Amino acid sequence: MTFANTHSLVSVIVPVGERQTPIADLYAEYKSGLRLLGPPYELIFVLDGLQPTAERALLSLVEQGEPVTIVSLSRYFGEATALMIGFDHAAGDVIVTLPAYLQVEGCEIGKLVAALDAADIAVGYRHPRADSWFQTLRHRVFHGLLHFVTRLNFRDLGCNVRALKRKVLEEVHLYGDQQRFLPLLAERQGFRVSQIPVRQSKADRRDEMYRPRSYTRGLLDIFNVFFLIRFTKKPLRFFGMIGVATFALGLLELIYLIFVRIYFHHPLADRPALLLGSLMIVLGVQMFALGLLGELIIFTHAGGSKDYKVDRVIQYASPVPALTESGNAPDKPLEDNAPTSLHPYPAS
Amino acid sequence: MYATPKLSVIVPFYNEEDSIGPMHDAIVAAVEALNIPFEMVFVDDGSRDATASRGEALAQQDPRVRFVKFRRNYGQTAAMAAGIEYATGEILVTMDGDLQNDPKDIEHFLSKMAEGYDIVVGWRHKRQDKLVSRKIPSKIANWLIGRVTGVHITDNGCSLKAFRASLIKRIPLYSEMHRFIPAMASIAGPRIAEIKVRHHARQFGQSKYGLSRTYKVLLDLLVIKTVTSFTSRPLLWFSLLCLPLTFIGTVALIAGLITAMPGNGGMSLPLTGTGIIFLSSALIMMASGTLGELIYRFGDVRPEDFARLTMKSVISRNIPQ
Repeated sequence: MTFANTHSLVSVIVPVGERQTPIADLYAEYKSGLRLLGPPYELIFVLDGLQPTAERALLSLVEQGEPVTIVSLSRYFGEATALMIGFDHAAGDVIVTLPAYLQVEGCEIGKLVAALDAADIAVGYRHPRADSWFQTLRHRVFHGLLHFVTRLNFRDLGCNVRALKRKVLEEVHLYGDQQRFLPLLAERQGFRVSQIPVRQSKADRRDEMYRPRSYTRGLLDIFNVFFLIRFTKKPLRFFGMIGVATFALGLLELIYLIFVRIYFHHPLADRPALLLGSLMIVLGVQMFALGLLGELIIFTHAGGSKDYKVDRVIQYASPVPALTESGNAPDKPLEDNAPTSLHPYPAS
Repeated sequence: MYATPKLSVIVPFYNEEDSIGPMHDAIVAAVEALNIPFEMVFVDDGSRDATASRGEALAQQDPRVRFVKFRRNYGQTAAMAAGIEYATGEILVTMDGDLQNDPKDIEHFLSKMAEGYDIVVGWRHKRQDKLVSRKIPSKIANWLIGRVTGVHITDNGCSLKAFRASLIKRIPLYSEMHRFIPAMASIAGPRIAEIKVRHHARQFGQSKYGLSRTYKVLLDLLVIKTVTSFTSRPLLWFSLLCLPLTFIGTVALIAGLITAMPGNGGMSLPLTGTGIIFLSSALIMMASGTLGELIYRFGDVRPEDFARLTMKSVISRNIPQ
């Protein structure tokens, strides 16, 4: 028995954003793949912002009796938010996320769902890839940078074709554009991630010009993830690092200026370098103060957010099932069943 | 028949497949003799060897073992925090999983706790570790921790410690705070005692520490100082940062204004500018302090909670009805 077969329903979430293939084509392609799955499926289309054309096409699918749910958002919230909204309406234990444009061939979906037997989240990567040299370069730079920052190896985070177990989305909270980093954040939560090669769709092989804005956003995303996974719980490590560095530089410069003033009588008041030095010192102190503020936030909320995820708690003599597989530790773990109250242990 | 356990022994394990069995036997041998109800909370910090399966087997054989398995490696602080969370005893004893601590010492910890202390800290007075890489840095660190936090403990690095559960369960533990648990707990003003403990040389496996921790320890120390002092003197740190900035700013500004006097050859821009920069920074620092106050006000942690934890006595006059 595979994981997918033992679970009755596969929920497919499709966030529909700016980039999209006509819904009818998209649906036909995905349906051809989903039909091969075995277990029944439902499709949840989340319209991110007002999209009358897509909505009309989807409504006609509903009228034809297709298992489609339509969720419309009143404005653009970002793909990750759309995904989370879609998840609210998903009933299945297996969640499949698909992009609103053809990235991979529909028949590849089954491979990802099957991979959930040995993983919590299966991520597709397009292989072999047919892209222009420019796209390949962009892809390489992005993933190289990401690897440098996170030390994790992901081959294709741009591929939004993923299958995951329900518990992953229950624990990993995404917003904005973070859905691209879902595998990475899931891995940080201790979920098992596997990467599966999938065949690229022919429609995906086009050369798309990106606006400069999307590059800036990409860089900011990487920075965001970097901060998120390395320093969320220790802001002072991050701000302190920058603060100490700028402070030290500023201090060195001021010491030099004072040295020159004393021994070579170069008047301090004439030197614009004085401004730079003091700016850096002040900046360093302020960075440090920001880090301390961050630490205060963490400290005052440490009770609510735990650092760790418990896989399971094993105790032989507890009346509840000994194996509790829970994402987060219950607030009052096993309190009513003291270890030996039901099964007295012989006091030797 | 046992009532709820009075004592919980918390042991985090990380890649200690050879130690977990002997550790269990040693604890059972040492604590059973004391004749009090106890439990063991073993935390597996995402080990990649057989620690988890051996721990599971132990939990199946011995109902006094509660085995908490992490999904991945989260570090020793998280393991300690989880152990404390899942323990149900009134007194919690933490120790390392590498057999360097001796469970026979638990007895002394309990008698010390019975004297009314909230925290009892072990002191490895004959430490079996390398001198240069382990002992000397730890001496300096302990001195520094004592100076900064005001909690003078000879050996902060010793994992063998005993805590009153009602107290330690309320102290936030996160990041890499396990070295500073007593200092962190000092927020509540506990009664702390120190006793000498035995320390054995490592039998199995590799030591997981090195010298590279210094920078982290320093920053963590500062964090603890900040969060603990905020409970009594909220604006302390930000005002302290404010003072030198204001001083430098004022001096530079006055010097700049002097150059602006007629006959001094025109106002010096760098000097005046420096003054303005420092003064405005002092202002921002004050604003940050206020922001900190705001954060504290809306957070879950309230100073009076800590005060209640260790409150010594309430004396009040009986008011007749």
